[in-house]
Order: sequence, then C-alpha cells, then structure tokens
Amino acid sequence: MKTFEEKWTAWLDGQLSGKELAEFEASLPDLAAAQAEKRDAQKLGAFLKEQLTTQAVSNEEFFSHQLHERIARESEARHRSTSTWWTIPRLVWSGATALALFVITTVVLMSQHQPGEQSEYLTQILQSRVDPAANPNATISIFESKTDNKVTVLWTEGLQSLPADYAAK
Amino acid sequence: MQLRPLLLAAFLVLALSAVSADAAQAVWSGLVIAENVPQPAPIPPELTGLEQTLKDLFGYNQFEVIGQSNKTLKTGQEDWLANSKYFGLHVDARGENDSGYSLNLKLYKESDVLLETDANLSKSSPLVIKGPQVGSGQLLLVLVVKDDEQAHRRRHAEPANPITTAWQRLRRAIHNVLP
Repeated sequence: MKTFEEKWTAWLDGQLSGKELAEFEASLPDLAAAQAEKRDAQKLGAFLKEQLTTQAVSNEEFFSHQLHERIARESEARHRSTSTWWTIPRLVWSGATALALFVITTVVLMSQHQPGEQSEYLTQILQSRVDPAANPNATISIFESKTDNKVTVLWTEGLQSLPADYAAK
Repeated sequence: MQLRPLLLAAFLVLALSAVSADAAQAVWSGLVIAENVPQPAPIPPELTGLEQTLKDLFGYNQFEVIGQSNKTLKTGQEDWLANSKYFGLHVDARGENDSGYSLNLKLYKESDVLLETDANLSKSSPLVIKGPQVGSGQLLLVLVVKDDEQAHRRRHAEPANPITTAWQRLRRAIHNVLP
C-alpha cells in the first residue's frame, strides 16, 4: 500500500496511469493547483537536468584545458633545457653570411690583381741586356711556360755561337 | 677574457712558424748544356722537376750541369758564383720580398759579360735563361728557389703546425682559384 507521498511523487513523475491515476487525482482537494505544481516540478526537473549536463561538459573542458596547459608547460621546460642559439634557421643564415663574406673577400682580392700585371707568384724579369757590340742582332723575349711548374723563360736569339769546347765543366 | 691569451699564443705560434719557414731557403743556380745525343744521360736530380718543361721548350733530350751553386739565403743580400770552365754566372741577391728574391744576374764568358738581367725570382717559379749556342748544344741558365735541406729535414721531423698548414692550404686554394 503506497503512501500519499509515494503516489504524489509518482504522479509528478507521470508514472501513475489508469485507475490508480484517476483515483489519485480524484483524491486531490485542488486538482488545478496540483497540476500547476506538477508543471513547476517538471520545469524544475528539466532545468536541473540541463544544468547538470552543462556542468558535466564544463568540467570536461576545464580538465582538458588544464591538461593542455600542463603539456604546454612541460614541453616549454623541455624546450628551454635543450634549446641553443644555433637553431637551424640561424645556422643557415650564418653559413650564408660566411659564404657571402668569402665571396666578397675573393672578389676584392681578385680586383686588386690587374689583368695585365704579372702575378707575384711568377718570376719577373725587370730588365735584361746583352752586349750590343759583341751581339748586334741579339733579341730578348720573356714568356711563361704553360706547364704546372710555372717556369719563367728569358729567351735570347742572335747571341754569338761558341765552339763545343765551351761546354766543358 | 681567457680568449685573449689564447689568440695571442696562436698568433705567436703562427708568426714563429712563418718566420722559420721563410728563413730556410736556398737558391740553386746552374749552368746547363742541353744537347741531342743518341744515348741521353739521366737528367741531374736538381732538374728532375723541370725535365719535361725543358724538353718541351728547347727540344733537346739531354741536360748536363756544367756548373752549379746551391746558396742558402739568410739575409737575402748574399752573392755567389756558379762556374764552369769558361762560363761564370754571378748572382747578386739584393733583398727579399713577399714573393721571392730580387737578383742581379751576370753571365760571363771568361771575363766578358754576355748577358745581364735583373729579376725578381719567385719561390714558386723557376727561371730559365736561354744562353748562346755552344757547339751543337745550347747553354741554359737555371735558377730555382728550394727549401734548405737541413730545415726541410727539421720541419719534416717536427709535427706540422696545424694552423700554419691550414693557412698554407687556404693560400694555395685561393691561388689556384685566382687566374
């Protein structure tokens, strides 16, 4: 045998039906007021249900937010502990700068060396003369060999020939 | 702050190495008779590095040294004589510069000056002078700057200075790149 409170709760929840529903509503002194109270209770229930669901989502988001923050903190700490000034982009820029400086230096060095000027790495003939009285037709020319050992050659023509005896040691 | 003494030490080592490397050089000067013979003798060791160049330039197959001198230069102001029986090559060094030695050369035939030349002899470029025809051959004058033997051996016995070696390699590389 259900008490009135049990039947009232079941009626509010819409769980009474048939003869039991009719008997309970007949037993109520003011059915309209009870109906109004039932609607309020249902509204309250729906509101609470909605709020409880929202709260649950909110907690989930909050947890997720905290988790993200913790991950970010940890990755930042790890990044800070292993980071160095020589990052890949900086390495690339440093390499490019060094290369550019090398090219500029090379160009400057090359521009200081005039095209017609004899290289300081080759032997230079400053002046050369033969006795004009003994060798009136003598000529002198200077050139460099095309071989790897960079021989400078002073080539004379028209010098007086000497007998083979002069080849003696 | 600790970098400064380190750089200073490196600079001193480099400077000392450069000084020791420059101080040990000799000029080999030779009177050479070039000839074509059926059985050519082996080329003298002093001319080994120039053998092909001499053959290409003058067209002879034998090169005989008839007089020579190997003078170690300390001040760059020395003078010396390479003599054969009839010829004399007098070399008067008049100072050293970045690329080599400033030389005055006189080729004597007995007491007569056949040829006089002022040259700046580079350490990396031998000088060959074509002299007069002698019989069926040709007199050549050859001057080459060489590393002094003792210093050469000493440098090889000691471990190489890596900074100097790197610097020399860089210089050679730049020199090879430049026309």
